[in-house]
Amino acid sequence: MANAQAAAMVSPGGRELGSGVYNEKLGMWVFLGSEVMFFTALIGSYVILRFATPDAFAAPNAILNVPLTGVNTFLLICSSVTMVKAFAAVHDGDQRGLRIYLLATLVIGATFVGVQVYEYIHLVHSGFIPAGYAEGSHLAERAAAGELPPSIGIYGSSFYAMTGFHGFHVTMGVICMSFVTLKAFRGKYTRSDHRGVEVIGLYWHFVDLVWIILFTIVYLI
Amino acid sequence: MATTAMPHDTAHGETHELPFIRKYIFSTDHKTIGVQFLLMSLLFLFVGGLAAMMIRWQLGFPDTPLPGGALLPETMAPGGFLLPEFFNSLVTMHGTLMVFFAIMPLLVGVFGNFLIPLKIGAPDMAFPRLNMWSFWTAVPAGIIMLSGFFVEGGAAGAGWTSYAPLAANGEYTGVYLGQQLWLLSIALLGLSSILGATNYITTVVNLRAPGMTWFRLPLSIWALFITAILVLLAIPILSGAAIMLFFDQTIGTHFFDPTGGGQPLLWQHLFWYFGHPEVYILILPGMGVVSDVIANGSRKPVFGYHSMVYAIIGIAFLGWLVWGHHMFQSGMNPALGMTFMVSTMLIAVPSAIKVFNWMGTMWRGNIRFHVPMLHAVSFVAMFVIGGLSGVFMASTPVDIYFHDTYFIVAHIHYVLFGGSLFAIFAAITFWYPKMFGRLMNPALGRVHWFLTFVFFNMTFWPMHNLGVGGHMRRIYDPNQYAFLQPLAGTNRFITISALLLFTSQILFAVNFVVSWFKGAKASHNPWEDNGLEWTVPSPPPHGNFSATPTVLHGPYEFSSPLVQDADFLPQSRNLDALPARPAGE
Amino acid sequence: MSETHAFKHPNYWAVWAVLAALTLVELGVAFLPWSKGVIVLLLVGMALWKALLVALYFMHLRFEANRLRIFAIAPLPLAVIIVVAVIMEFV
Repeated sequence: MANAQAAAMVSPGGRELGSGVYNEKLGMWVFLGSEVMFFTALIGSYVILRFATPDAFAAPNAILNVPLTGVNTFLLICSSVTMVKAFAAVHDGDQRGLRIYLLATLVIGATFVGVQVYEYIHLVHSGFIPAGYAEGSHLAERAAAGELPPSIGIYGSSFYAMTGFHGFHVTMGVICMSFVTLKAFRGKYTRSDHRGVEVIGLYWHFVDLVWIILFTIVYLI
Repeated sequence: MATTAMPHDTAHGETHELPFIRKYIFSTDHKTIGVQFLLMSLLFLFVGGLAAMMIRWQLGFPDTPLPGGALLPETMAPGGFLLPEFFNSLVTMHGTLMVFFAIMPLLVGVFGNFLIPLKIGAPDMAFPRLNMWSFWTAVPAGIIMLSGFFVEGGAAGAGWTSYAPLAANGEYTGVYLGQQLWLLSIALLGLSSILGATNYITTVVNLRAPGMTWFRLPLSIWALFITAILVLLAIPILSGAAIMLFFDQTIGTHFFDPTGGGQPLLWQHLFWYFGHPEVYILILPGMGVVSDVIANGSRKPVFGYHSMVYAIIGIAFLGWLVWGHHMFQSGMNPALGMTFMVSTMLIAVPSAIKVFNWMGTMWRGNIRFHVPMLHAVSFVAMFVIGGLSGVFMASTPVDIYFHDTYFIVAHIHYVLFGGSLFAIFAAITFWYPKMFGRLMNPALGRVHWFLTFVFFNMTFWPMHNLGVGGHMRRIYDPNQYAFLQPLAGTNRFITISALLLFTSQILFAVNFVVSWFKGAKASHNPWEDNGLEWTVPSPPPHGNFSATPTVLHGPYEFSSPLVQDADFLPQSRNLDALPARPAGE
Repeated sequence: MSETHAFKHPNYWAVWAVLAALTLVELGVAFLPWSKGVIVLLLVGMALWKALLVALYFMHLRFEANRLRIFAIAPLPLAVIIVVAVIMEFV
């Protein structure tokens, strides 16, 4: 094939077209693919173990605090909206909107983590630990009295593994979000370059998405 | 419109002088990181080989103390006789080190890093700093893995597959901390791999030079790209499972422990859902490299380039659907057993297509049997043998007999050593001049290849016989069974061959080290190859290309009728430009 | 440099309202005296609907090119396969 023909097929802009989006955005989407598989292992195991031994799991609200977590879910969804509003703001050149919405996302996100930590402390205190019922605890007594399943080792195991790692991911997100917010207040994101905002946004929405599924499967079913 | 972040302002070939630590230790240059992975992996290849020698000594000469055994502590080998627990650790660590710290980083970490930016015409990876983190998380992972040998209870001893509940409960193996360290190491290495895969995928998708369309990519890059996708999606499954097993070991959870309501089969399914794509991760880059080398050695285009690409994709796709063939004996749902038999038989098809295409590439070629070519052709032959034994094992009724015998061990080593390791030798020899600016000694390379080939087959072929004879895997003392005693002679033969095989690698090590300092200086293109990497100096400068190349041809235009002055046509060579650039300047 | 392809932002608050409403409905359905199978079906359906809304509108997949959507979709069948296959062990 003649070189002139070959040269004519080359795209402008210096590189082959590829994904059509900038590196950091593609990189985050690719990384999120791996996170889907990671949570599949954890959440999938919960589902599988539940099919295997349904009696080793408690009914909704029997042990876990569904109303509180429902509110927490709502909070996380709110933080997702504020996040995308922050992105929309900087996309349209609104620096003030960017800063306010990022700050809101950060605060709500941190609150979510706080509520989760509070719930963990409360659960452990009442006797729900990764190994099942803590000996001599309030929950153990209720189980002995027949109000709860006799042994819930795998319920505790999978609950703490799933929500723990989700919480870990949210915490990482909050930490990164604080860096992004700081940069935003320093005016580092512009209408023409706000990659960092979009990329952290993708991560944040993903973490929200995982929670939406987690909340339903673990707390409501 | 795709835009790319140029990693440095060195696209113009300037190098600002970096301090030693930034240049060689915490480097963000993909070529340096590739060499770092190379040195690390070769070290682990050696340690894994040492473990194998000790295993073979026990199986071949159980009544003779291990030579050098006096160096080992009483907890491992009192009087030079291996303890059964230490044997279990050796078997575990041999597999673990070879799979995770030798073969995988050698293929994916070294050649993924070194080749991808160069062969696609990019100045570096999409995320150079992330790349550095990939290496510097792999190193502590390796250190943690080796530290198992030095803790009380010794290194992990539940097999490289770490089945629960054996691996979950220290009382069963006698190993406590070592088993936990194994999981921590694997989790950390997993992170390294996932970061690397993200980098490779983004780079191949977004940073290809103008004209480097998907179907002009060399097959080594196709293979590394598809492999990176497998790494991205399979490793997190292992990470998740490893975390759950770690919790079973430490905080009293019961994911896999039947006494606590858990399911041992869950571990097996999760592990092999990762584990099967993992073995394609271990072979696909080798296949890619072999395609490049065989085309070069045959001075012919790869036969059926498009079908080669589709075969790589087909293998990667089907590889997700066959994991249960590792579990035929596990007691899993028999309906799954049938499914996996069919899917496993199917996966032989794209592999076979590749074998026929390699043969078609060589057919009537103007063959140069340079050292990389010797290794590449050996790959094809040994892979066929390994693949054929795989067809036997794919049949569920046959596998009922062969599972957990030395037949499996033979298969594994024919594909991982006969396959992957020969491909690695081919790749190292082929790209050594580009990495280090010097050629490896070809005479020494031929002797090394020949001895390796002969001793490899002498070591692993008889293992098929062992397996057929019922010799099980991971067994410390086969002679305790009367029916295995007649196989003791075979075990001795294998051990002697293995020792000779291991010793022969000294030639490679010497060649590698001495050539670094004393090897003949390499020109731009000593192999007269078409890849973009051969258009830049050996070794390439930081930033690789002084100007972004424009790709005008496919990767395998050897013996092209368009070219009068050479039997190869570099991908960026402009035939219409005057004057024609001399070959291999 | 970043992607500044001009696109009209969807009404994010409208999406938020639907998400909030679905969450409330889910909380209600979970405690209804219906058969377990029906409840599970409804809850999983709603959860997936919410997840889809986040992916399509907040993560902008609705407006992205197919070649990016492939990266988002690719892991999903793999996730389904392993969970379904292993559930088959126990039912």
